[in-house]
Amino acid sequence: MHRRREKLSTVAGVVALIVLVGLLQVSLRSTSYDRLVLGLNRPMPITKVVDFDPTAITGVVIGAILGGFREVAATMLWLKVDELWDSGRGTEFATLNLMRTVTLLDPHWIEPWRITAWHLAYNLYVETEDPHERAILLDKAVACLKEGISWNPDIYDLYFELGWTYFDKIKDYEEATKWLEACTQFEHPEYIERLIAHAYERLPEIDKALDWYDYCIKRNPGDHTAIGATTTIRERYLRAWRLAQQKRYDEALKELEYYLMVDPEDLIGLHFKADLYERMGQKRKAHDIWKMAGEMRALDDYARYRASLLAAELGLPAPPQPRALMETKKELAVPVPK
Amino acid sequence: MTKIYQLEFGRKQTGVEDLNLEVEEGQIFGLVGPNGSGKTTTLKLLLGLVFPTSGTGEVLGFPIGHPAYKERIGFLPEGPYFYDHLNAVELLRFYGGLFGLGGKELDRRVQELLELVGMWDRRHIRVRNYSRGMLQRVGVAQALINDPDLIFLDEPTSGLDPLGAMQIREVITRIRDQGKTVFLCSHLLKEMEPLCDNIAILNRGRVVQSGTVDELLAGPQGMYMLRAHTVPQEVVESLRSFATEVRTWDSEIEATFADQKLAAQALEAVVEAGGTVRELSPYRRSLEEVFIDAVGGEAQ
Amino acid sequence: MKAIYRVARATFFEAWRRRFLNAILVFAVLIIGSSWSLAYLQPGAELTLLIDIGLGAIRFFGMLIAVFLGVRLIADEMEKRTVHTLLAKPVTRTQFLVGKLVGALATVWSNILLMGIAFYIVFALKAPQFRNMDPEKGPVVRMDFMYANIAKAIGLSFLEVGCIVAIAVMASTIFSWILAAIFSFFLYFVGQMADFFRVLAQNPDRVESAVQRTFFAILYAVLPHFEVFDVREAILKDQFLPWLTLGKIVATGVLYIVIATLIAWLAFKGREV
Repeated sequence: MHRRREKLSTVAGVVALIVLVGLLQVSLRSTSYDRLVLGLNRPMPITKVVDFDPTAITGVVIGAILGGFREVAATMLWLKVDELWDSGRGTEFATLNLMRTVTLLDPHWIEPWRITAWHLAYNLYVETEDPHERAILLDKAVACLKEGISWNPDIYDLYFELGWTYFDKIKDYEEATKWLEACTQFEHPEYIERLIAHAYERLPEIDKALDWYDYCIKRNPGDHTAIGATTTIRERYLRAWRLAQQKRYDEALKELEYYLMVDPEDLIGLHFKADLYERMGQKRKAHDIWKMAGEMRALDDYARYRASLLAAELGLPAPPQPRALMETKKELAVPVPK
Repeated sequence: MTKIYQLEFGRKQTGVEDLNLEVEEGQIFGLVGPNGSGKTTTLKLLLGLVFPTSGTGEVLGFPIGHPAYKERIGFLPEGPYFYDHLNAVELLRFYGGLFGLGGKELDRRVQELLELVGMWDRRHIRVRNYSRGMLQRVGVAQALINDPDLIFLDEPTSGLDPLGAMQIREVITRIRDQGKTVFLCSHLLKEMEPLCDNIAILNRGRVVQSGTVDELLAGPQGMYMLRAHTVPQEVVESLRSFATEVRTWDSEIEATFADQKLAAQALEAVVEAGGTVRELSPYRRSLEEVFIDAVGGEAQ
Repeated sequence: MKAIYRVARATFFEAWRRRFLNAILVFAVLIIGSSWSLAYLQPGAELTLLIDIGLGAIRFFGMLIAVFLGVRLIADEMEKRTVHTLLAKPVTRTQFLVGKLVGALATVWSNILLMGIAFYIVFALKAPQFRNMDPEKGPVVRMDFMYANIAKAIGLSFLEVGCIVAIAVMASTIFSWILAAIFSFFLYFVGQMADFFRVLAQNPDRVESAVQRTFFAILYAVLPHFEVFDVREAILKDQFLPWLTLGKIVATGVLYIVIATLIAWLAFKGREV
């Protein structure tokens, strides 16, 4: 009797176990859903691990072992980065890996994302002359910032860093406006709007540039930079822009030429003119102007980029050297997270 | 009952085999046997600490392992050890609590038992600092905390000084006199002989002999034994002619005789020769002899 | 019930006398106290680091205490053979097991409580300094829900270490205590990244073999998900933690404890001691 009861209790235990495991799946599912909706999941670069990025795997494993101490470890490593930096070893590969590990361990810490991207796009960038390598570095900087944004989507900091990198280093004003505009959803400093307007000027998108400048002036009637900029644009280009919008290209061109006579090297004017020809369908002329603008200014990568796009389309000889922007756009393009 | 231990790598070891024991109420039952003969296994089986491979058993009318009889038993394991952060009083209160005892009644019982085993004066010492003998004494006390009807004691006097051992033996007899049953395991045969009513000898997991102490120790029917000293050599020689066996050492002799008449004759001879008689009694073997007979043969 | 209570009480008081476990507790409280000054290591994120060190220490040292206590719980009784005297008394194996577990839970929970109080004091004294730390930068540190959230997070740590104790006890009824300790640590670490296996299981682009994906799916289902107890994200973002979600997390944790205990019971009920 006694033994039979023992056996019965074993069976009952196993049955209870199965039921409980079933219940557990239900509660786990519901909990996981809640956590996903509330954004409670700890940042973990899982996708990177799946791609077998060794640094990321190390980061995840260290993170798991440290359990709650990931951020503390990140802090310690960051101090080490500082030390390497001060001893003149800042450009070494090891330093970069260390920085990367810090971002993996504590993805909510903004500083390492910003510094790592800056390090890639500025410090390491000038270490090499090879444009292809430069392009890779810029691409890495962009990827780094985008990953940082994915962990910290609710503050302006990294959107700004990315926008600025596009604006200042890559000269991709289309991308720059996109990321800079994203900053405005959150609390942000005042200069962001002016920067967006500057980027639109260079595209050129005169209407949008003016919109942003106007916003700046409304917000702060004493914003002299914005006031000065709007005055110039309104005087020189607004009429031409309106005409172009009505597809009255010839008249627009005339308006533009007038001011280009006054200031033939004006960046906005040249970009506008080239863009106008492109819209008119005169691609060869557009190409020549973009090329000229590019030759005129060492930093006008955007003009050179647009020229090379047209050159490829028209079967013209490729520009003398491939440019970083070209490469980032074509070869290493990272899909933008939606 | 049979208990086969499953060891690692599929090896097996027999704990006890075809064990068949019956213990009557109100007795002191002794289970004796050499080391590794299965004494502790038997106890563990009876207490439900291990489970039989085959066979069944009953303790106080309940199947072995059943929780019900545990209210009414006491157990002293071999080389007992207890929670070492407690002192004697706390320890007994803890065990008493497991039986649902408490309050003044438990306090009285604790004092009574600690006095009984001679630990009352040392009651504030923590178990951690106990000597082997103190552990044993407290072990006996905890086995008695619930005033059990049946008490299992595994090597109760090991590690005790002679005085302590005697005290424990007294406790055991007293329990029996209260009508309780005592199940004793030991290899100290000298101690078991006067203490037990019934004895079973265990060897290699099997009972090789069992019965009442008188039955086991009784020699062949009607034989007598004479012990004496300072017996002249020629008298010893003459005794050899009609004695069954004569053993001598120094000035001592020990002779056995087939019947009372021959023994009386020998007594007369010794007395006349001026020897000192120490003992004349019906011949009774010692437990040691019985044990060596039973176990020794098989051991070879 | 009484037997369970008695065994639990004895376990609790015995555990509190273990110097090793006390040392871990003292060390943990020291670390929590040191977060006071360590926070300045991470400029711009002092509050984050303060919370991280505090809650991290509670979880990590709580886990250490839980594992070392849990795996030795039954093993000690067996080695010292105190289990013999105990099971010869009217204490069933079930009562013994549950009593030991309850005693161990009481021990780790009291440890967590002490660590939690220490951290709460440090936090309450230190946090107000960060409230308006950098007005120039624009956003000030928000702390609307922070005090409540930290209390909730500490509460969930109770549950997490509870699970670890139960798992350690379960492992120790099946393996030797050393193996059980290794097993428990392993489970804890892998359990922290259980979600990783879900990604592997649901990503045919990355893991091509269906067999491998099934394997990862099983791993995901079987591994304890310790990450569900981690709500630090809510603290850092200072968002309200709904009671319903907390309830679900608690239910999950309780289920883990019950399941581990049940497995331990199944393994232990027929165990020869």
